[in-house]
Amino acid sequence: MKELQNKVKQLLNDKEVDLVIGWAKGSLPLVSTPVFITEAEQAEELIFDHTCRNNLATYLTKDRKRLGKKYNKIGIIVKGCDARSIVLYVTENQVKRDKVVIIGVPCQGIFESRKIINCTNGREVLEQKIAGDQVILIGRDFEIKVSREEVLRDCCLSCRYPDAPEYDHFIGEHRGEINVKDEFKIVEDFEKKSAAERWQLITEEYSKCIRCYACRNVCPSCYCNYCFVDNNDPQWIGKTPEVTDNIIFHLIRNLHLAGRCVDCGACVSACPVNLDLRPLNKKVEKEMKERFGYTAGLDINEKPAMASHCENEKQDFIMG
Amino acid sequence: MIKIKYEQLSALIDFLTESYQVYAPVKHGKETAFKKISSASEINKSKYNTSLNPKDIFFPQSEVMFTYTKNGIKSPPEQGKPIAVWGLRTCDTKSIRMLDKVFANAYQMPDKEMYKDPYWIARYKNCLLFSFACNEPPSTCFCNWFNSGPYDSSDSDIFVTDTGDEYLLEGISERGIKFLAGYPETSQADQTDLDKIKVLREKAESYMPPVVELSGLKDKLLKIWDDPVWDELSAKCINCGACAYICPTCHCFDMRDEGNEDKGKRVRLWDCCMYQLFTKEASGHNPRELSTYRVRQRVMHKYNYFVENYQQFLCTGCGRCIKVCPVNMDIRQIIQKILTYKEV
Repeated sequence: MKELQNKVKQLLNDKEVDLVIGWAKGSLPLVSTPVFITEAEQAEELIFDHTCRNNLATYLTKDRKRLGKKYNKIGIIVKGCDARSIVLYVTENQVKRDKVVIIGVPCQGIFESRKIINCTNGREVLEQKIAGDQVILIGRDFEIKVSREEVLRDCCLSCRYPDAPEYDHFIGEHRGEINVKDEFKIVEDFEKKSAAERWQLITEEYSKCIRCYACRNVCPSCYCNYCFVDNNDPQWIGKTPEVTDNIIFHLIRNLHLAGRCVDCGACVSACPVNLDLRPLNKKVEKEMKERFGYTAGLDINEKPAMASHCENEKQDFIMG
Repeated sequence: MIKIKYEQLSALIDFLTESYQVYAPVKHGKETAFKKISSASEINKSKYNTSLNPKDIFFPQSEVMFTYTKNGIKSPPEQGKPIAVWGLRTCDTKSIRMLDKVFANAYQMPDKEMYKDPYWIARYKNCLLFSFACNEPPSTCFCNWFNSGPYDSSDSDIFVTDTGDEYLLEGISERGIKFLAGYPETSQADQTDLDKIKVLREKAESYMPPVVELSGLKDKLLKIWDDPVWDELSAKCINCGACAYICPTCHCFDMRDEGNEDKGKRVRLWDCCMYQLFTKEASGHNPRELSTYRVRQRVMHKYNYFVENYQQFLCTGCGRCIKVCPVNMDIRQIIQKILTYKEV
């Protein structure tokens, strides 16, 4: 933590960056909060731990790229997945590589606050402590120990790239690529089901969506100036939170993330009704990998899969 | 005050369903919400507030105002029995009363029938609100900032205290008192029960955060309306609508026609000042283009404009927005920053 704070102080003092986006302690025990640092002394607020769930890359494109207009050079603290979002921005010409200073941190996985709440049977956690591989959850009248695996986010449990693939500074030890075996298990399990079962699962899950668009707004890859749901002339989609419109919203967003989703888990963590949005995103990620050998955000010199064409790509969808 | 044992709850709910449509907290996916129930077994008993708000009962997220064909328009079906809501918390009861001011007693034209919203009134008329004391307010609660508290019974029809094995029911409004008087098979609460309430109440109140004095908030907000501090306050907001859709008091809506020239419907839907489209004008101009202005609007509406119109804050301190915000925008911190901010 100290090393991170010192690095940020130095970058600001040396005028290498005008702003640093990082995480600070949040107002609740299980969450951190994004923080925008322009003065070296503010760097003391910075933290990095298992509560840093936000993908801060989102702020580079948020609000019509306002930060980029205000600050010449932006430093940004990133986990592996967040760094992949920045790589994606560069390959999609949204952010210039020389305008960002990427500060990588070694990610050991982020906790899902809702998984923690499940462990306590819904009781509120007021404090948590890490003891080796165990997490101690403390509330008003209880103290329970759970294993880290129980409370890690699904996307962290099957994370292959915990380190930033592209960075200017790296704080701490690299973890390297992790050889996860069942990265696409949720997709395979889903694919094994019959069409009727799949449809039932999807309709059940998405019928609960309240269309607050938290998933879209936290998503670093959702940066359209005008999202199709915000267009009312013509109106592309019904605004009622009925299952048909909900599914159209999620499926279109999902397809628009083809070759662009970095599985950072921001949408899942953000959903106020706790929908599991991940299986569909992972399905598209798997398709992209199998069809185009492409994984988003790994190589800053690679063209985005949907913006390039190779002769040897599978074309069975055209030829039948 | 009467008492009923836990196991007698189903008899009470059965009795209620004879003359009311009964809503209560139920499991809704991985969350909890108020839904219509037909028996007590469906109720989700929890010490905490539901994760989704109860405004949906009286002001649904999407509501058909009328349907049309080439032959004319048709009103939605009648509401039927009045609504009773079991398992509200005091903050949620207060939020429903606030919404009633907006929809049925609009300040701007108190005596004009045209400003009384028929859709709201159809549901709200003769409703019976069972409001529960909070025995264990979580750390996100701050209702005591708004002259309320975990045992505030005002605004309830019937105030319920859950003592761990029985419910103590106290009629507060005329309608509540009348209902309890008409309920058969009851036993009266005695001094032991009152002592129990006293202990529970003291414990609950000890969980509440220190009160923040909000009397200067409304004027302070007006003073800093065009101050650059809003850039800082709104910096991390990502402009989703989670806070507004989870809020029991936010009540902005949009109306849409869905259908074609032969048939269709007009629907009223929740809308949210966090969205770009909310204020986008037909010309393409958007007076609240930036996130800063939208965050300011939400704060101003809750703690200034509404106070101007109705002499109370449009916030009950239920803490739901604090729990769901993806970037931990904590409204308590925003209020405190505004109160202590020295304007430029």
